[in-house]
Amino acid sequence: MADAESTGRQLPGYVFTVERERIREFVQAIGDPNPIFTDAAAARAQGYPDVVAPPTFGIAIDLCGGPGFAGLCASLSVNPLRVLHGEQEYSYLAPICPGDVITAEPRVTDVTRKEGATGTMTLFQIQTTYTNQSGRTVLVARQTVIERSPGTTETA
Amino acid sequence: MAPPLTYFEEVSEGMELPVLAKEPITPEQLLRYAGASGDSNPLHTVEEVGRKAGFGGIIAHGMLVMGFAAEFATRTFPHQSLRSLRVRFANVTRPGEPLLVSGRVMERRPGDGAVVCGLLVRDAAGQVKLQGSFTVALPSRVQHRPT
Repeated sequence: MADAESTGRQLPGYVFTVERERIREFVQAIGDPNPIFTDAAAARAQGYPDVVAPPTFGIAIDLCGGPGFAGLCASLSVNPLRVLHGEQEYSYLAPICPGDVITAEPRVTDVTRKEGATGTMTLFQIQTTYTNQSGRTVLVARQTVIERSPGTTETA
Repeated sequence: MAPPLTYFEEVSEGMELPVLAKEPITPEQLLRYAGASGDSNPLHTVEEVGRKAGFGGIIAHGMLVMGFAAEFATRTFPHQSLRSLRVRFANVTRPGEPLLVSGRVMERRPGDGAVVCGLLVRDAAGQVKLQGSFTVALPSRVQHRPT
């Protein structure tokens, strides 16, 4: 069960090395044609040292480098079948480029319960800080993970 | 496609941003996104799992749809100007749905050059899949004028 004591608690961290090919596959799956993600010359013309990771690449760092969705659910003691991704926010502090070794440190910043017609919903706020090999924080993510009550069958 | 809005003076409050029309999502695209993002949840790739979950089949990754929102933000403004992007997932997306991303300038702060925009991702019927906002920081033309 989720409990209020877990607020402020660190979740297991993880390390991920950013690869050029991972960035390419990621933006091609989205269908984003911006050449700064795939063409180093185009990225340099925009002032970057190399191609850069696109704005939602943090999810690949989480899922390829970290414990993934199942691991997150286990850490929060929630049932994956009842979990919804409610909100996601990123703050961009510095570029992420191929070869960067990113250390991600997630923690639970808030846990709230809401009573509704279908029972109790639990909302987890998770904040993850991503730091590169130079010790610079490049990205901060905040997400809301919702566990629906056991009785509900509705779909978002 | 229009060149990105680069300077603070090019932006005004209430300004509508050029709509991004995405091709319909395909099951193959979801497989590619699953591989690239590391999201192996079968809800997005195995029809039977999607049906059992009550969605009538597979559904798109929410983060793929957020990727469309990010594409919208970084084609409208230079990528390096993006300071934050925030979304709320409102409805699931099935393959075959073409999505439209639209947005509008909500706030413009001369002090720090910040421009806050609201955005919506909708299907052809107008159902909102995702709503959000993003902030860019744009330089002033005035500061770039030689003195």
